Amino acid sequence: MIENRQYYFDTFLVDEKVLGRLVAECMAGGASYCDLYFENTTYASLLLRDGAVTSGGNHVDFGVGVRVLSGEKTGYAYSESTAWPDLLSCARAAAQIASQPVEVNPYGTRNPSRGEPNPAARGVPLSAFLPFLQKLEAEVRRRDQRIIKVIANLAFQVSDILMYNSDKELKWDTRPMGSISLSVVFQQGGQTENKSTSRSFRQGAEMLTEALLQEMAGEVVSGIDERFAARRPKGGRMSVVMGAGASGILLHEAMGHAFEADFNRKGTSIFADKMGKQICPRGIHIIDDGTLPGKRGSLNFDDEGIPGQKTYMVVDGVLTSYLHDRISAAHYGVRPTGNGRRESFRYAPLPRMRATYMESGTAKAQELIAEVQKGVFVDEFSNGQVQIGEGDFTFYVKSGFLIENGRLTQPVKDINIIGNGPEALADIRGVADDLLIDPGAWTCGKEQSVPVSCGIPTVLIGSLTVGGE
Amino acid sequence: MNRHQTLSSQEIDLARHCLEYALSQGAQKCRISLSKTVMNLIGLLNGEVDKTSHALDRSMQVQLFVDGRYGSFSSNRLEKEGLEAFIREAIATVRMLEADSFRTLPAPERLSKDARSGRELDLYDDAYDTLTATDRRELALASMAWESLRDGQEGWKLIAEEGEYSDNVFDSVTLDSQGLYARHTETSFEIGYESTIEDAEGRHFSSYWWDARARLKDLQWKGCARKACERAVQQLAPQRVEGGAYTLIVDSECASKLVTPLMSALGGFSIQQNNSFLVDSLGKKLFPEQLNILDLPRTAGDSGCRLFDSEGVATREMPIIENGVVRTYFLNSYIAGKMGLEPTVEDATRVVLQPTGGCSTLEELLEKAGDGILVTGFNGGNSNPATGNFSYGIEGFLIRGGRRVHPVREMLITGNFLSLWGNLLATADDARPCLSKRIPSLAFTNVDFSA
Repeated sequence: MIENRQYYFDTFLVDEKVLGRLVAECMAGGASYCDLYFENTTYASLLLRDGAVTSGGNHVDFGVGVRVLSGEKTGYAYSESTAWPDLLSCARAAAQIASQPVEVNPYGTRNPSRGEPNPAARGVPLSAFLPFLQKLEAEVRRRDQRIIKVIANLAFQVSDILMYNSDKELKWDTRPMGSISLSVVFQQGGQTENKSTSRSFRQGAEMLTEALLQEMAGEVVSGIDERFAARRPKGGRMSVVMGAGASGILLHEAMGHAFEADFNRKGTSIFADKMGKQICPRGIHIIDDGTLPGKRGSLNFDDEGIPGQKTYMVVDGVLTSYLHDRISAAHYGVRPTGNGRRESFRYAPLPRMRATYMESGTAKAQELIAEVQKGVFVDEFSNGQVQIGEGDFTFYVKSGFLIENGRLTQPVKDINIIGNGPEALADIRGVADDLLIDPGAWTCGKEQSVPVSCGIPTVLIGSLTVGGE
Repeated sequence: MNRHQTLSSQEIDLARHCLEYALSQGAQKCRISLSKTVMNLIGLLNGEVDKTSHALDRSMQVQLFVDGRYGSFSSNRLEKEGLEAFIREAIATVRMLEADSFRTLPAPERLSKDARSGRELDLYDDAYDTLTATDRRELALASMAWESLRDGQEGWKLIAEEGEYSDNVFDSVTLDSQGLYARHTETSFEIGYESTIEDAEGRHFSSYWWDARARLKDLQWKGCARKACERAVQQLAPQRVEGGAYTLIVDSECASKLVTPLMSALGGFSIQQNNSFLVDSLGKKLFPEQLNILDLPRTAGDSGCRLFDSEGVATREMPIIENGVVRTYFLNSYIAGKMGLEPTVEDATRVVLQPTGGCSTLEELLEKAGDGILVTGFNGGNSNPATGNFSYGIEGFLIRGGRRVHPVREMLITGNFLSLWGNLLATADDARPCLSKRIPSLAFTNVDFSA
């Protein structure tokens, strides 16, 4: 799917000479570094609702972001046009970080276009995907008679990216992303419950297989009996067993964000003075990885042109690396880790996670559950949040079970788990051998939205606060 | 008005051309929305300018109704020939979709007719046109408090002060094939700070404060940084509090968190999908007599007001919940058709909760509540749209005799929205004008806290 260099030059109507002149303009005021980020994203979507695929569309987002650094200070501007006068205005707006404020002429009045939209699924008409959605709905309804509503959303996105910087590094990439989400409403007697599932991969139409269809249909109806029977438990502090896979959101929110180097560079992270120190039990390894094939959070290059790589943040319980972009790497005197990411050309890059997970341990999941006298097992989350400074985190649990005397008993739902990141890390009592990278459409919302993956093996945490009746 | 910062006549003519072009290529009906935003930002870190940003965004959304089918498309590549090709491709795509007889434009008599210039709501500040890059930088620098606060006081020191000043002008025009022309133009000025402090034991506490206004002269930028730091200092020495039923008082800064799920549950899409705890609630008294929530979208000078919704339908002032009775769902033309109901508007625009209980300020409300927990921020959590059950992490203070005793940590509230609102004790009259929903501080009795 990645094209040759000329394809990207043609897409953005630039050449090496234009890039060189633009960089020179950015650096003219005494800047220390600059980079250009060209993006052409096409996005196609289909929506099945009330038994028919009656809504869909294509969307185009095109532009260039210009970043100029003066030490650790950032000037940023972007244009939706790559005509030279607009690029020039953009560069001058960004370059003022290294000089005095300047008035910028409004730009974006010309917007050269190649004309036809670039079909997101690269040559496959949207109509080709209707049968998949229709079959998915039929398969879901076939599996449970209590279903009253089914919504399925299919989206394919392709982003062509061209990057150039004042170190004369030229990089190009094409990034696919296919996502499908399924939401189902069930009714039993007078009670209504909903369940949902999603898949998202750096793939195109090839992801729509029969196996995927069956897997999603099965997943969205599984556990619905327990959902109807679920209650809120009595709240309080108790042991928590995090199920493999989606519980990786715990790592993402409670630990991963605090490892992002911008929070540490500013001194705001709770891990700002913990480098090289033991922060959790020996045997625990926590990783952020951009190299897992096809995963939603994977990248060939980050948005600063740094190659995708695997970064060990915690090795044997010791904090060994933050997640760096170019600015923080220069601040700490280390190499960038390929975590400089952005939502689009409209945003300057920040240190962001990719696919964050904990490596498998040696215990068995059942052994961890058996250790708990009173606690909860949780396996489905909807969202989480962390306060970077304090390290306090909260997760909303959609489903799980009480653990009583080492066994799963009453199903639970709609509860929160709250704790403190460093305390929870230090309180890990066991890690199972069943690491699972969750295949769902996770999106991280730190100032900007970027696709990520998360995963974890089954993990036992000694004590967290569980919200309940 | 600076013509470069708002939509030009040429840009609006391009939108008209696209509308006509879509009809000429086989669309029976069409709606086009064209928007333009210019934004400037100055970021600050520990007493210095850390970031500047300048941006111009344009986008055209094209909604096509073709042979009983519907599709929605958008592009920011606003060049005539390219857009024509885009529209031809879009029409071909719509023809591939399944037919849906409920997709249509709103009835012409419901369309906005009084949003012609975009300035009817008086939300454009002419001061924007004369604001220079130097002005912006000076204002941002003047708003900082780093130098005076960096040394802290006994027991804490300021370790980071991050601030942002930004302004923007937003201009949009919506046209349709029935002759709709509706324009909305507004400026916005915003200041925000986040301060992180460290206590004697090395623990970090952070908080924020912000303000946003349509007019620069109204922006409360002085004291913003100091207030963010003060809010962080107030969090020092938090203590765990035993769980149980407490009176919950929610500060107006975050009170909308408890109102937004009600508005979502009244959304036509949720109702039609049976994914709402307020299904079949129209005309029913599900809330206490004292609860009145209105949509007031036409108040000149109030940020967030709009004369038309995304379909171009004229907004109107209306009760949402009146004396505890549910008075409306939010139904666009499509959902209303599917449900066999009269359409209203796509969504609430300017939600206003009328004060009740006689308290003016948060302090008066605390006094009325007596003992309880004051919530000043929510930390994560969620609600179940089908059942109305919720669970939210909170930060705030233990209250005894109407006074703050100490900050609380690691606490959650859980409950159901219907029972929560059934326990509404009173409100203050302190809704923040910078928030899109005007919700005052709220007090509820008998709320479950876990700790």
